[in-house]
Amino acid sequence: MKPARATGRPMNSLLLLGAALLGSVMPSLVAQETSGSKSSDAKTADAKKDEAKKADPEPKWFAVVGGDVHTGTGGLLRGATVLAKDGVIESVGYSTDLPEGTEVLSARGLQVYPGLVAISASLAVSQGSRFLAEDDLHMRCCVDFGKNGHLHEGPLDAELDLLLADQAGLVDAQSDLRDAYDPFSSSLLMTLAVGITSAEQSGGALKLKRGEIDGVVMRERFLSSFTWTSASSGKTQLREKFAAAARYLREKREWDVRKDKVKDLPEPSKKGIEQKILSVLDGSARAKFNANDRDDLLGIARLAQEFGFRPVIEGCVEGWIVAEELGRAGAYAIVYPRQRRDKDENLVRAGGSSIENAAILHAHGVQVAIGPASNGIDLGGITGRDLLHLTVDADFAVRGGMTDAAALAGITTVPARILGIDHRVGTLEKGKDCDVIVTDGDVLHYETLVQYTVVAGKIAYDKQKELLFAHIRPRTPGDGKTSNSSGDSAPASAESQPPQR
Amino acid sequence: MVTRSCLSLLLLLAAGCASTPERASSSGLAAPGFKPRALRAGETGVALQCSKIFAMDEHDHIFAPGTVLVRNGKIEYVGPRRAAPAGYEVHAFEQGWALPGMVDLHSHVQGTFDINDMVLPINAELRASPAYVPGNTSLDRARAAGVTTLLGIPGSGTSISGFGVLHKTKDTPLYDTAVIADPGAMKVAQSYNPERSADFGSTRAGLGWLLREANERAIAANEAGVVDPRLENLQKVHARELPVLIHCAGSDGVGKAVNMWKGEYDTRCVVSHGCFDAFKIAPYVVRMQVPMNHGPRTIDFRVSREGRFVGTAGEYLEAGARDFSLNTDAPVVPQEELFLQGTVSARYGADSYSMLRGLTIHPARSIGLGDRLGSLEPGKDADIGVFNGDPIDPRTRCELVLIDGVVEYSRTRDGQLF
Amino acid sequence: MLLTTLLLSIPTPADPPLPSLYALRVGRAETIAHGTIEHAVVLIEAGKIVTVGQDLEVERGIPVIELPGATLLPGLVDCYSRLGLDSDGSSGFEPQAKASVELYPDQKIWAEILELGVTTLGLYPAGSGIPGQGFVVKPHGATREEMLLRDPSYLLVHMRSDPGSKKFLRDGLEKADDYDEKEKKNVEKWDKDQEKKGAKKDDKKEEKKEEAKSFDPSPPQDKAKKERKGYVPSEPDEKAKPFVELRQDKLRALCTLSKAADYLHLLDVLREETFEFDLRVFLRDDVDFHHVMDKFGEKKLRIAMDPRITLQPNTRRERSYAMELAAAGGKPVFVPRTDSINGLKDWLRHVGEVVGAGLDRQVALRAVTLEPAQLLGLGDRLGSLEPGKDANFVLYDGDPLEVSTRILAVILEGELVHGEIDQ
Repeated sequence: MKPARATGRPMNSLLLLGAALLGSVMPSLVAQETSGSKSSDAKTADAKKDEAKKADPEPKWFAVVGGDVHTGTGGLLRGATVLAKDGVIESVGYSTDLPEGTEVLSARGLQVYPGLVAISASLAVSQGSRFLAEDDLHMRCCVDFGKNGHLHEGPLDAELDLLLADQAGLVDAQSDLRDAYDPFSSSLLMTLAVGITSAEQSGGALKLKRGEIDGVVMRERFLSSFTWTSASSGKTQLREKFAAAARYLREKREWDVRKDKVKDLPEPSKKGIEQKILSVLDGSARAKFNANDRDDLLGIARLAQEFGFRPVIEGCVEGWIVAEELGRAGAYAIVYPRQRRDKDENLVRAGGSSIENAAILHAHGVQVAIGPASNGIDLGGITGRDLLHLTVDADFAVRGGMTDAAALAGITTVPARILGIDHRVGTLEKGKDCDVIVTDGDVLHYETLVQYTVVAGKIAYDKQKELLFAHIRPRTPGDGKTSNSSGDSAPASAESQPPQR
Repeated sequence: MVTRSCLSLLLLLAAGCASTPERASSSGLAAPGFKPRALRAGETGVALQCSKIFAMDEHDHIFAPGTVLVRNGKIEYVGPRRAAPAGYEVHAFEQGWALPGMVDLHSHVQGTFDINDMVLPINAELRASPAYVPGNTSLDRARAAGVTTLLGIPGSGTSISGFGVLHKTKDTPLYDTAVIADPGAMKVAQSYNPERSADFGSTRAGLGWLLREANERAIAANEAGVVDPRLENLQKVHARELPVLIHCAGSDGVGKAVNMWKGEYDTRCVVSHGCFDAFKIAPYVVRMQVPMNHGPRTIDFRVSREGRFVGTAGEYLEAGARDFSLNTDAPVVPQEELFLQGTVSARYGADSYSMLRGLTIHPARSIGLGDRLGSLEPGKDADIGVFNGDPIDPRTRCELVLIDGVVEYSRTRDGQLF
Repeated sequence: MLLTTLLLSIPTPADPPLPSLYALRVGRAETIAHGTIEHAVVLIEAGKIVTVGQDLEVERGIPVIELPGATLLPGLVDCYSRLGLDSDGSSGFEPQAKASVELYPDQKIWAEILELGVTTLGLYPAGSGIPGQGFVVKPHGATREEMLLRDPSYLLVHMRSDPGSKKFLRDGLEKADDYDEKEKKNVEKWDKDQEKKGAKKDDKKEEKKEEAKSFDPSPPQDKAKKERKGYVPSEPDEKAKPFVELRQDKLRALCTLSKAADYLHLLDVLREETFEFDLRVFLRDDVDFHHVMDKFGEKKLRIAMDPRITLQPNTRRERSYAMELAAAGGKPVFVPRTDSINGLKDWLRHVGEVVGAGLDRQVALRAVTLEPAQLLGLGDRLGSLEPGKDANFVLYDGDPLEVSTRILAVILEGELVHGEIDQ
């Protein structure tokens, strides 16, 4: 019973499949893109050859060939090729003219998508599960496990395996995420195995490279956390701080213009102005709030509109009630589709969580990113609600009425925008990083497993070569393989094997 | 040798079932001589016109498209499309997949959660029903997800924590109208959780003795033909009048539980959880013919330590488990996400049609309600969920839920609760 | 001459002492440098090995100790220990700290260590980050001076995948950069001063300038010194000094790692640095050093590790990193699993387990003798049976890697320090 899977099934119409998988694809658009990239490909291929000769050192070419390419820009190119040079996409289309020495990954019969972008990811591994109900008081009897610790919920220190080392003891607050990156960690491999190639970390964005630490930080501290308090004094204070910062910026601009003309014009004082707010107002950072109540959401929307910035609102549980206002404020929302909150029965108006939240916000122009039900990797056995199941949460957004395409955008392009890395990741386009996942079906279908994950033009994960999922619906030979590797038909082997003894 | 061939036969059977579920039948399911007739005064009738109907009967009938006719709360016809008789309330779905209402045998969301009196380790006289609060939001959402029957049981903090209540998720302020059976089943917890700081019985050794002692007393009372008021319900368990659900996990715990409750006492037992590395003794559970009610953990990575994500449901099925069902241990997994246990199990290797069985007919049969619930067959309770697609695809919405033939949830009428 | 085995367990030095010149004739000798020699004869004079060979004729008059049932091994070298030291040590960034200030000779533990065949002990500074410099002792002697073999031995650098420990190392190297920069200026100034003194001709001056330009701080300064007679380099800041010395090859570094990523981060800090370093990796289940084994092998690194078989992360698959390292071209060094007397007692048994699991026997023996001696900078003096080296021996009544084998005697610099030998 594979009702919703559209893969591998021969479809005589490209447009039909596009529509089936992406829902909102405009047929003409697909056709245009297809033909457009064909011609440009031919040109670039020639140009590339020349470049290859000149360039030093030799560029590294990589291509994913023959898969159905979901570009993320609304196009579906059946049996197309994604060609990358030194980790950056050179073309997406029907070029058959691959430069000499191109490493080819055959995706024939498979689906090709942009790598997923995980927002609110800690990438920490835990052995327990986070519960979703907001009011967890009633959990006491159910999670009260044995004293001998067999069933502790929550991370077991000894087994904690972090992608990033514990930063509690940091000497330098300015330290680089790069310095703590573990490109061999098993949590990284698991994250790649579900198709996530970029992840938020401390308000910045990491490129999940395997085996190397260079270039793993795409952006640092772009998201700036703000606390929105429900208390009116707190709100007033925050507004005043924004007002002061805005005033300063105005005066500074004025001063910049006039200082040459007027002698001894005093420079406006920065005293008492929060740098954090200045960064938000001048666009070098994005303000992120964590808010769920309707009133708080409205307050944030008003603040944002007054001072002209686009807020990121995490949680946004009652956003569906004020979706229009949030849309007008140009808000980004980070929604956890399964987050539950019961309506306050004392209120007459609407309240509480709604499974339709993501869909309603999206319909009102809010950019909706979908976050994982819990931000780490849960190896405790209660599955389907952690970072490894980001697509399941996207599925729940669809359940609430979102289109598949919008839900997919919620785990690719929108989080990329929120993190300020959309010029590099989120879609498959020329000039973007070659972060590609190859799947055996519709990426949002529950039986679909990632077959290959490519990060910056390198295969970082091959399902049949790692123990994790190799035993589940093993890929049949010819389902896709790398042309210059012979190991594809070999049985699953974990990492590199210890020598025979 | 004999057991092995039996096993492989079972395997063959299981495989056969799994590979040919999509058999459509030309004639529908109905009582002999059934003829649709108009409603009489005082009668109710509902007709569901669906694009696909999973009967979940023993022949795995699937009707696409098909019709379900419900009269006075009971199913009277399931089969190919036919017109509704006069007077029937008709619900027609262009994209509507009908599935028997889902059954969860391990649930704790009935109400106030005062379900584990953790003073004494053996509480054969306690019941979960006093903690029941009809119409709580967890039950509302569960109903809106097509979950229609729950076994609400005491917690696992004590070894015999009492008796659970079997009930439907009806939207009713009255407890009595929702209850199927109270007591519904005894809850026993063996291994891990009940091993806590009681004076006596804080170890498996102590608990084992206490449990055995209580059981022996109940059996002795049965043999003497007397009723011990402190063990009345436990006596019923040993008289096979009531089923018993045993919380146990790990290959060690499951092995002992099966050995005691089936091998030694031969009760109507259901093993609940069976998580961690318990899948490794699945063949034993199968051989002892003990139903497995699996969850909330449905994968194992850490305990078996094979470097792979083991979908444990798939392992049980592969071992030939017959009455294999899934649970949520709600609220550990939210009650409404019962289907998701099937989703992830299918993701990790189990056959997706078997997962539908594990959500409907298998749990019903395991708890002794196979003649009344779990499949769409004439004469059974009309507990039916209609979905706009594959019921275990999280993208799919639940459109309509009937319980005892009454529309207890309609997405268009009530708004999408889940 | 006969061996008495009855009183072996009594840890009293033999009496009378061995003569200054004597020969040992044993059933088997593990030379480490040249493999196993059956019926070996070792000639010892004044605490040093004179010669080693099979069935050598011994000159008349030289006493020969006959031990036909014994197996001779160079004294064991434990290069990473805190035994006998008790301070909490420094932590953070204390590269100048010397662990040797903690050395206290009058302790029973030294004799216990010696009795277990460990004739050389590399001791390291306690603490985290870059806690200081280690030193080497022989566990025997009444005074610090008698015990000390080398001080310092290595600069200890705990490298972890976190910004903190990377910063420590970066800071240290930056300090060395600053010093080198300063020295370069000093040299230029000195040259100019010399020029001013008018002792040089024009063409010579040109030469000097050229030289000053190409002055490279990394190679030893001896050259510069020679050519600039009378020039005295400035003394580096105490925290910069160890790093300056690393670059001048006066000091080695021992970097500890707990997972594969730590090595990438170490390389990330070192970048163009060319000084030599050894590694100490901590082996427990779920370590992932196989990811960088090729990189270890490429550099032919010497790596101290626990003699144990570990499990590959998240699996029950066994890995033998010592074997993998040897295969990749690196040099394994074994350190007892626990840093205690019991750890030393089990040491060779654990090494035996790794050999049982496939590690080459010679590689294993080398990993408890010559390689740790090299790591401590004493490879020319210790760790193998070669002429000129210290006469440090352990005599066993069988295969040293067998569980049932016992130590017959321990000889330190030609002296019998444990066991009894009937001369």
